Amino acid sequence: MKTLSGRSKAYKIFSVILLVLLALFFLFPLYWIVTGAFKPAADIYAKEPVWWPSEWVTTNFDNLFNKRTAPLWELAVPFSSYFAGKPVYFSVGPTVPAAFRWLVNTVFMAVTAMIFTCITAAMAGYALAKKRFRGRGILFALIVCAMALPKQVILIPLLKEMGALKLMNNLWAVIFPTIGWPFGVFLMKQFSESIPGEILEAARVDGSSELRTFTTIVVPMVKPGIGALAIFTFINSWNDYFMQLIMLTGGSQFTIALGIATLQAETSIDMGLLMAGAALASIPIIIIFLIFQKYFTQGITMGAVKG
Amino acid sequence: MKRSKLVSLLLAGSMLLGLAACGGGSTTTPAPAESKAAEPAQSQAAEPAADTEITLWTYPIGNWGVEAEVNKLMDQFKADTGITVKVEYLAYADGDDKVNAALSAKSAPDLIMEGPERLVANWGAAGHMVDLSDMIDDTDKKEINAACLTACTTADGKVYEYPVVMTAHCMAINKQAFEAADALQYVDLENHTWTTENFIKAVEALSVKFDDVGAVYCKGQGGDQGTRALVNNLYGGTFTNAEHTAYTWDDPLNIKALEQLKSMKGINFDASLAGGDEIAKFYQGALQMAFCWNIAQQLNPNAANTGAEKTVTGDDIVFMSFPSENGESKLQGGIWGFGIFDNGDQAKIDAAKTFIKYFADSEHTVDAVKTANYFAARSAAEGTDLSGIWADNEIMNEYNKLMPYLGDYYQVTKGWAQARTEWWTMLQEVGKGADVGTVVAQYAGNANAAAK
Amino acid sequence: MAKQPKQTMSRALQRREDIAGYLFMLPSLIFFLGFVIIPMFMCIGMSFTDANLNAKTATTFVGLTNFINLWQDAVFLDALKNTFLLVVVTVPAVTLFSLWVSSAIYKMKMPVLSTFRCIFYLPVVTGSVAVTVVWKWIFDNYTGILNTALKGMGLIEKNINWLGTDGIAIWCIILIMFTTYVGQPIVLYVSALGNVDQGLVEAAQVDGATDLQVFWKIKWPQIMPTTLYIVVITTINTFQCFALIQLLTEGGSGTNTVMFYIYRMAFKLTEQGGHFGYANAMGVVLAIFIAILSAIQFKLGEEK
Repeated sequence: MKTLSGRSKAYKIFSVILLVLLALFFLFPLYWIVTGAFKPAADIYAKEPVWWPSEWVTTNFDNLFNKRTAPLWELAVPFSSYFAGKPVYFSVGPTVPAAFRWLVNTVFMAVTAMIFTCITAAMAGYALAKKRFRGRGILFALIVCAMALPKQVILIPLLKEMGALKLMNNLWAVIFPTIGWPFGVFLMKQFSESIPGEILEAARVDGSSELRTFTTIVVPMVKPGIGALAIFTFINSWNDYFMQLIMLTGGSQFTIALGIATLQAETSIDMGLLMAGAALASIPIIIIFLIFQKYFTQGITMGAVKG
Repeated sequence: MKRSKLVSLLLAGSMLLGLAACGGGSTTTPAPAESKAAEPAQSQAAEPAADTEITLWTYPIGNWGVEAEVNKLMDQFKADTGITVKVEYLAYADGDDKVNAALSAKSAPDLIMEGPERLVANWGAAGHMVDLSDMIDDTDKKEINAACLTACTTADGKVYEYPVVMTAHCMAINKQAFEAADALQYVDLENHTWTTENFIKAVEALSVKFDDVGAVYCKGQGGDQGTRALVNNLYGGTFTNAEHTAYTWDDPLNIKALEQLKSMKGINFDASLAGGDEIAKFYQGALQMAFCWNIAQQLNPNAANTGAEKTVTGDDIVFMSFPSENGESKLQGGIWGFGIFDNGDQAKIDAAKTFIKYFADSEHTVDAVKTANYFAARSAAEGTDLSGIWADNEIMNEYNKLMPYLGDYYQVTKGWAQARTEWWTMLQEVGKGADVGTVVAQYAGNANAAAK
Repeated sequence: MAKQPKQTMSRALQRREDIAGYLFMLPSLIFFLGFVIIPMFMCIGMSFTDANLNAKTATTFVGLTNFINLWQDAVFLDALKNTFLLVVVTVPAVTLFSLWVSSAIYKMKMPVLSTFRCIFYLPVVTGSVAVTVVWKWIFDNYTGILNTALKGMGLIEKNINWLGTDGIAIWCIILIMFTTYVGQPIVLYVSALGNVDQGLVEAAQVDGATDLQVFWKIKWPQIMPTTLYIVVITTINTFQCFALIQLLTEGGSGTNTVMFYIYRMAFKLTEQGGHFGYANAMGVVLAIFIAILSAIQFKLGEEK
């Protein structure tokens, strides 16, 4: 008995040490991004890596911000280009470093995709789970099949479609396919299954309209599911580099990830500038993650349990 | 409770911000494409050029990749013509992909700035470019460098690129490193030339002091003119035949050169580097010579703005012609200019032509050339003499010593895009230790299949 | 006789359900059909043609030519091999590693537990592009962190060209992919292990079962659904891996995958570039492989 507990104690110590080492390994990229962003050029270009900035400077950020500029926002009169031949702006933001615009674009893209996905998926999931309409089986089978499809497979048709819709180099071209991705519907169907049929029946007997039933009874009951889906969609959309790469071609429409990748392609050499860019791309979302950590873990778990 | 309120507040806030920021932006961006459809009705106006907006995509050609510099030119252009130009900046690593993606979605830019190997041999050949031959009259033909104009013209006389600047690509060495290894004796610093024999001796001397002397980079096609020129010049091999109808790099002289390079200590065949990475490593001092060099690099090494002709540690950079048996090598030319994508909108094409006339054939050509940091592709433009615009620049004058070595511009041979892919893939194979003769025959064969 | 009214009732009800059902489905269906299903059929259609970027030639139907050519395309076969290597190595590695980490941390106190969980989840939120920029520096041949560290420790004498050597580069990719994939499985396993019926565990321990026995006999079956989910999503994610390869090796040094090859075939400026028909044929083949693999995984999961 004693030797056994001794052995398990040794194993415990060993596993804790290993865990700490692994944690350091996982923290390393972030450490390197943050220190690298503030290193002076001499440290960046040193032949041997410099582990700690010899001096904390903001030159890298200056370089990043001076490289490209873009208006912080551009509000055009809708469809103005159809009747005026070119877009008519009723408001154009001040010119700022393009990196800020990229951040704004990324937030807009992720939040819009999240909201639209939650609304459409909650409605469709409820219908698939609780409405006995014809063709429901086929639709659900189609949705399950499409879930495993890698986006690269449909990339060329999507590109042609966006070209035809005149949505190339437009954030909506990234947002729409995200909304169409069937995982959300699948997830919300699983959540909606647990709504007791009697409650819905009772609501109908009371003369509640379909929409009213949905907003007052269904939505509150699947709220945890919507939360999980929101987090899922937000992270996926934020990180969906591939779609962004294909659909966005112009500097002021870039997302932050695409912006950094483009900087790397342009100046694979100025690592300081890249680190500053990487810091700008990752720190905001890490802060969001840390603040809402509890919701993130809950959301992920819930999504998996039901999915 | 408080938490969830905070969440919803934050969400609402970011949503509002986002909508304000990009909701509009997203309707504006398709505008260039949208307005194409609307344009014909518009263009009935007397002055098609004024008040038009066109797009220019440019690769980083000298300072044509620097927003602040390009903005100066565009502001001047707008003030003079009323045409707004929206500029997007491409990188060599993925610029081609972006153009191809845009082409397949029918939203290509109006103007593009690059060399004939893309504009003529690729997009031109695939029928996406506008023929510019009506812009070139007899005076222009006299003024524009004949080799440049030939490169920009197809076999059936269509001009898909209006050339603006040109240069000769070369290589560079780290003077202090050579000094330290006592290898400066192998280099003719006065004329910037050296022989193959001396090159081999120099690398030998350097490899005693440095693990890595030079890199035959082959991650991708970026900067491949350097590896081609190195291999071809070493023993006098050729890349294509003089008629530009077939690839001849399976020449035994090239095989000999590749075997020589492979056997040299200090020369790495490196599949993790492209041309741009090699420049960076040279600038950092990790490599003692760079094969991907030219005058724009010499003026601003690594585009790092830390001073002309200096590495990051302050060592002197000396540009050199490639080594060859008699010291007189054939340098690869670089030609850059403008082309117009045919988006089916005459008003935009006219505006784009106005743009080209303005920057490639007028008194403003001086600014376009100076921004590019290369030599003008023509002797004079509408009465402005261009031959002496760099007279006050010592480095440019010194570099002029290399210009007579400018060799054949063969990058317009049919199947060029395929051939360069075969070339760097072949270098990767050689680096892995494959039999040189076999892989050279194989990949040159593939290239020739594409040339038919 | 009595049936008649009931049937009309149910028909009316059915109509009501149909209308309501489709109205609720409509917003989602627009996007799903428009941006997933229609492109999917376009992809299949295009794979039988020689569609390409050349504006001068018309697109023609070529039957199965693209598919036949695929099986003779050494680059494609190589990419297919690499893709499967990625899946075969990454999926078990991610699953086992996250299971080990989770079982080591799930009993820890809350702040410690959530700190570890956070750290392992960090690469996911940092984003693959930002992470890749660092890894490029780590693996750099001349001034890289790894080479310097190994040389400093005296483990190697000459620099190793991590991303430029066949047979090494792909393992570097796998390592990076691994770090960006384990975050979610760890979160899931921690919660699943926490939900294991403690009564059963204690009963088994009273009966003298070892830790290992407890794990295999009691915990493992209970976390099986979680494992299945992790295996499936890791497989799908691995197939989708793109940014790493595009940003680090551009498919060179034996790291070409089908995903990257499709992109390259479609957009790179080569003579083959812009051959949409061929690229789409690859997409179809890939989709078939993934469908088969997913089906097998589900089947195996159900049997257990």
